[in-house]
Amino acid sequence: MFQSIRTKLLTIFTIFGLLPLIVFGLFAYNMYLGALRNRITEYSTEVVVSLQSDVDNYLLDISTLLNQEEDYYINQFIQLTRANDFAGNRKYTFRLWENFNNQRSLKRGLVDTGLIFPDGRQMSTYGLFYGEKKTYYQLDNLKKTSEDFYISKPHRNFLNQTVISLVKYFKPEQDEESIIYYADISLDSLARMTNVKLGEKGYVLITDQTGQIIYHPERENIGEITSFFSSIKGDQEDPDYFTTQGKEYIVTGQNSKITDWKIISVAYSREIGAELYQLRQFSILIIAMMIILLLLLSIYFSYEVSYPIQKLQGLTHQAAANDLSVEIDIKGDDEIAQLGQSFNKMIKRIRELLEENIEEQIMIRELEMESLQNQIKPHFIYNTLDMIIGQLESDRNEEATYLIEALGKFFRLSLSHGKEMVMVANEIQHVENYLYIQQLRHGTRYEYMVNVEEDVKDYFMPKLLLQPLVENSIYHGILPGDKKGLIVIKGYCEGSDIIFEVVDNGVGISPDILSEIDETLSNVNQKQKHKDKYFGLRNINLRIKLKFGEDYGLSITSKPGVKTVSKIRLKKTGGEEIVQAIDS
Amino acid sequence: MTKKFILLFLILLFIFTFIAEADDQLKIAVIPKSLDNPIFLDTFEAVNQKALKLGVKVEWVSTFNKNNQELIAMIRRLITRDIDGIIASVDDTPAFREVIAEAVAAGIPVATFDADSPSSKRLFYTGIDNYKAGKAAAKGLVRIVKERNLTEKPLQAMILTGGKDALNLNLRINGFLDYTDQNINLTVSDTLYCNDDFQKAIELLENYINKNPAIDLIFFVGGWPFYVPPDALPEFQKWAKQGGVSVGIDIFYSALVLQKEGLLQYLIGQDFRAMGEKSLEYLVKYLRTGDRPPGYVEVGLEYATEENIDELIEIYKPWQVK
Repeated sequence: MFQSIRTKLLTIFTIFGLLPLIVFGLFAYNMYLGALRNRITEYSTEVVVSLQSDVDNYLLDISTLLNQEEDYYINQFIQLTRANDFAGNRKYTFRLWENFNNQRSLKRGLVDTGLIFPDGRQMSTYGLFYGEKKTYYQLDNLKKTSEDFYISKPHRNFLNQTVISLVKYFKPEQDEESIIYYADISLDSLARMTNVKLGEKGYVLITDQTGQIIYHPERENIGEITSFFSSIKGDQEDPDYFTTQGKEYIVTGQNSKITDWKIISVAYSREIGAELYQLRQFSILIIAMMIILLLLLSIYFSYEVSYPIQKLQGLTHQAAANDLSVEIDIKGDDEIAQLGQSFNKMIKRIRELLEENIEEQIMIRELEMESLQNQIKPHFIYNTLDMIIGQLESDRNEEATYLIEALGKFFRLSLSHGKEMVMVANEIQHVENYLYIQQLRHGTRYEYMVNVEEDVKDYFMPKLLLQPLVENSIYHGILPGDKKGLIVIKGYCEGSDIIFEVVDNGVGISPDILSEIDETLSNVNQKQKHKDKYFGLRNINLRIKLKFGEDYGLSITSKPGVKTVSKIRLKKTGGEEIVQAIDS
Repeated sequence: MTKKFILLFLILLFIFTFIAEADDQLKIAVIPKSLDNPIFLDTFEAVNQKALKLGVKVEWVSTFNKNNQELIAMIRRLITRDIDGIIASVDDTPAFREVIAEAVAAGIPVATFDADSPSSKRLFYTGIDNYKAGKAAAKGLVRIVKERNLTEKPLQAMILTGGKDALNLNLRINGFLDYTDQNINLTVSDTLYCNDDFQKAIELLENYINKNPAIDLIFFVGGWPFYVPPDALPEFQKWAKQGGVSVGIDIFYSALVLQKEGLLQYLIGQDFRAMGEKSLEYLVKYLRTGDRPPGYVEVGLEYATEENIDELIEIYKPWQVK
């Protein structure tokens, strides 16, 4: 399934396209998330530091009310109260109520101030009454602040309000027994001070030094031990990420310098995520669109790349199954298109070569047949056989044996076991056998010379090229004339080519005939005017050109009455090349 | 050894008994209309002194300024505390009647003093006969009118009172008007309400006289404008010196001084000390013995006249609080 190029390309395109996109998306998201977290944590830190300062200043401000040790009315009130002198004390009582009420009016969040006697009697803005004993004794658990006063945990006051008391042990004049002077502040004042925006659900709480909640927006939590306390180490200004019950919080703490309370801001980490919700949704949408686009592009590009290859593959298979009619149609100018064009050229060339090969084979067969027909012409055979008989009758047995041997070699080399290419030496020997036989037939009418360089003999050449030319020299050059004939066969190297020349001093060829012959040899691929004429020459020329190309072939020059030269130009062929050629 | 053990046992028994008694001391909450009203200082003094004698604890609690809503909330809070009884000066409103019922339902008997809510479930009321007090003030006024030969003259009067719902004040007004209607030609032009706030009373009075200098008579249903020294009432002094006639209820030092100077013609007083003493005494007795007190415990009236003014000034010391 994953073997096809298209699938591989699709996979690669998707991975390499998607991966950077996802990495970049995650990176950008995390960067923004980090920046947002930093902003929130910085804000949280600022908030708690500011709140710590506000709370401390507020408590200090309230505590100044407790510095009344020199107050005449208070001292008088205490003294006369102890003496149960109600007549003398009533004006001080009234004055203190006024003073307490004035203080309450002036200080926001102050709900009551008053005095508590050891027997529980309490003088406050609400009157003169007996405070609940437990309230008085609970004050033994007061926390000493860094200033000259104590602070209590949240407790209920006379009107059942939850308050925090700032307390000072009052040392009245002429009385050593401690009396508590207190100022009750409403939790609402802490709520007001700590009412800061920390996201939708974030809030600020205040604990004592043990983690017990002194103030919490949800009042029912007051008195509990907050789990956030453990995440705050000392006077921590750096926020901490604290996870409890599967929820993550950003917790920042700051110690009150006066009360040792801890002001803790709690922000919901999820809310940061919520702030990022739109961004995340938008990012997901963009990434999804990019993925779809990328997939479509990947499919398109992989199709664009793989389709021609697949098409090429199919056509190659078709061509491999001997269907050379195939032709690929690929548009464009890229490598695939060029490959297709090359494929088309290759197929075309193969087709041409096959056609040429077929044509050549046909021609070779035709030539062989003609050669054989010529060679088995009855008079050739009869004359040769008559010659052999004559030699035998005249006891020229050795000559007869030689002639029989020559005739046998002639026929054997003509066939050459059906091979197209033969060694030059064999072709020369074939011609020499032919000339030997023909010379015996024609007596002294002509002489012949074979002058072939030894180097040339080791090369290979198409068979039966020289014999037809020699035959032409005998029958069309020498025999029609009346002078002593001479046939010279030359063979030599010229660069990378081998040249054979068959020269005779016969009657020659008239210009008209020579022109026809030239025309026939020059236009090998065109429809032949003289199709039935010059078959042997055309056959030789065409075979050479098919084998070695247009630069090679047969050319004939003639000077009537003087000589005719048939010249063959071949390409040097030998060694392994010929083996391959033969095998193919 | 046995004697020492017995002695130690007796000492411990005595200590425990003492502690138990101390712990079992009745605790009575006394609730004036507000803490800033000095008229209740006599009650405060008397009730605390009486508490010492009776061996009970007294809590004197109220809102600083008169605020019925907060006061009712405070009474509700008291109900939840270890209070044995309540003595309160209340308005006769449904809200007060309701909270009194709540206290009674919680087993806390409620007595009223100074101002009553007779239709509530309070156990008893200690105070004056307010109708009679109003009538007495009217008698004093009629006498002065007759002395000045103004009996036939149509007289315009202004009434300065506390709150509209204060039953005691309304009874005084009723008593006053019933008597004057029968004896002089008096028409009440305006009734001003100070809501037991002395500063508001002063402001109302001064502004009114400034705008209505021809008013003939003023009836002070309570003594609020006179809690402060007379110098704080220039318009009133001017009006009084020009022949304005005024009578009032509540006797205290600064009001007596005004009367002595001729700026007030007649004062009827309530015995706030007796209100505190008697209400506490009856309630404690009820709590200790179950003896039900009478529904109305009268403390009687005082009359400040030319004859006894100097004596009263000697008795009523200045409050020294305003």
